[in-house]
Amino acid sequence: MRASFVFSEVVTGLRRNVTMTVAMILTTAISLGLLGGGLLVVRTIDRMQQDYYQRVETVVYLSADISANDPGCTSSTCSALRGQLESAPGVQTVIFESRQAAFARFQRIFQGQPELLQLARPEALPASLRVQLSDPARFPSIAKAFTGRPGVDRVTDQGEYLRQLFRALDGLRNATFVIALIQALAALLLISNTIQISAFTRRAEVGVMRLTGASRWYTQLPFLLEAVVAGVVGGVLAIVGLVIGKVAFVDRVLAGVFEAAIVPRIGYADIFSVAPILLLVGASVAALTGYLTLRLYVRT
Amino acid sequence: MIRLEHVSKSYRTSTRPALDDVTVAVGKGEFAFLIGPSGSGKSTLLRLLLREEVASTGDVYVADLNVGKLSQRRIPQLRQRVGCVFQDFRLLGNKTVTENVAFALEVIGKPRHTIRKVVPEVLELVGLEGKADRMPHELSGGEQQRVAIARAFVNRPLVLLADEPTGNLDRDISHEIMLLLERVNRTGTTVLMATHDHTIVDSMRRRVVELHLGQLVRDESRGVYGVSR
Ligand SMILES: Nc1ncnc2c1ncn2[C@@H]1O[C@H](COP(=O)(O)OP(=O)(O)OP(=O)(O)O)[C@@H](O)[C@H]1O
Ligand SMILES: [Mg+2]
Repeated sequence: MRASFVFSEVVTGLRRNVTMTVAMILTTAISLGLLGGGLLVVRTIDRMQQDYYQRVETVVYLSADISANDPGCTSSTCSALRGQLESAPGVQTVIFESRQAAFARFQRIFQGQPELLQLARPEALPASLRVQLSDPARFPSIAKAFTGRPGVDRVTDQGEYLRQLFRALDGLRNATFVIALIQALAALLLISNTIQISAFTRRAEVGVMRLTGASRWYTQLPFLLEAVVAGVVGGVLAIVGLVIGKVAFVDRVLAGVFEAAIVPRIGYADIFSVAPILLLVGASVAALTGYLTLRLYVRT
Repeated sequence: MIRLEHVSKSYRTSTRPALDDVTVAVGKGEFAFLIGPSGSGKSTLLRLLLREEVASTGDVYVADLNVGKLSQRRIPQLRQRVGCVFQDFRLLGNKTVTENVAFALEVIGKPRHTIRKVVPEVLELVGLEGKADRMPHELSGGEQQRVAIARAFVNRPLVLLADEPTGNLDRDISHEIMLLLERVNRTGTTVLMATHDHTIVDSMRRRVVELHLGQLVRDESRGVYGVSR
């Protein structure tokens, strides 16, 4: 196998159909860029889920009676509830928060809004048992077991809001993947078409190759490599696109969100850990498309 | 060197077989004409030898290869031993004479130093040493056919197949091409040439194998084209 010969064939092939080559590479790049975007969303969601569910609490709000008269959870009702919660399966820790403590926290949170602080009275806030679950999926059974018990006002789960948030993010991810997939289909058709055109414009060469006894590799490798080059160049463009997208768009628009640590920042490390996947997917899908096209449409 | 045993070939789209129970052998170093009217099966026979088509029944041998039974992977081995030229030359228009000939060696992976050595040699053999850097469109038909022969011969095939190589050339040029094919034949290469050209066949006095409607109707060792047609 003479590498220089095959290489020059590939370059001539790509140059001969510049418009098709550009279209093929751009479509591949967009498709891979979307795939990369989707993968980044997945990483972000995973990371958010980890630290959000670690932070969320299930809260058992206590009745007005306990809230008013039992600042240390020493009454039999309150301490029984705490004991039962502590021994319930899936529960990690249980912390009692008295009305005073709740009010202190409220003041801390709304420091910046004195009008609100003035309106608020400790009497408006219930005492609560704040439960940290080792597994957020345990919430429904806890809620069922404790709702309506004496001394319990209601059981809420901050996780429910998160689940809604994550459902929205999952939707975003799925939409990205679907568009990536449709775009990938367009890319595949373009690659296949470019190879067919390439094979057609080069039919004289291929004819001579066949008759002089060139092996299948020699006749087909230039076409396959054309496809792979498109896949790899498309992958590189996609990675560049993701970096630009991060710097010019995500970092600016979501600056506040990142600052508040609501959504973990997407770093260069994330992009570069997705990069090899994009290159690999680009190259191998292009090669496979090329191979099938040659099998189906090009006589050797 | 070439052997057909009871070979028939029917194309799927036609009713009459293109070749009908043909048995013939051409020995090593021989020169033979394959003649017959249009549609008699000459090109079909050559295509079977190149494994461009597969015989419907019967066996085709080239050198020690059973052509019809070759696996896809081994077909290149056959084609590297069999050179071929056609009426329409089939040169690559965007390559020079040298590049056209070199191409045949490049695509079978011959090293560059070998190519640099043998291409000028074969161009000299076909009488084109002064035109190595011309493009095909800067050559006459006869010269283009010489390039095609050089390309077919450069890998020193055992067999050279020629399908009406003089079909597009006038009489004098055809004669020169015949002299060149004789020269190739004298290097020990078996030559099988399909043609309609009476003058050439009559003047060469070589072996003549005649087909008619796919059947072998004549095989003479020093034949002429014949007067029947
Ligand atoms: N690919 C094909 N498909 C169907 N029929 C074919 C095909 N090629 C040739 N034939 C038929 O086979 C017969 C022999 O054709 P072939 O080309 O071998 O003749 P030939 O002797 O080379 O003719 P010519 O002198 O005109 O070149 C003809 O009847 C032709 O129509
Ligand atoms: Mg013919």
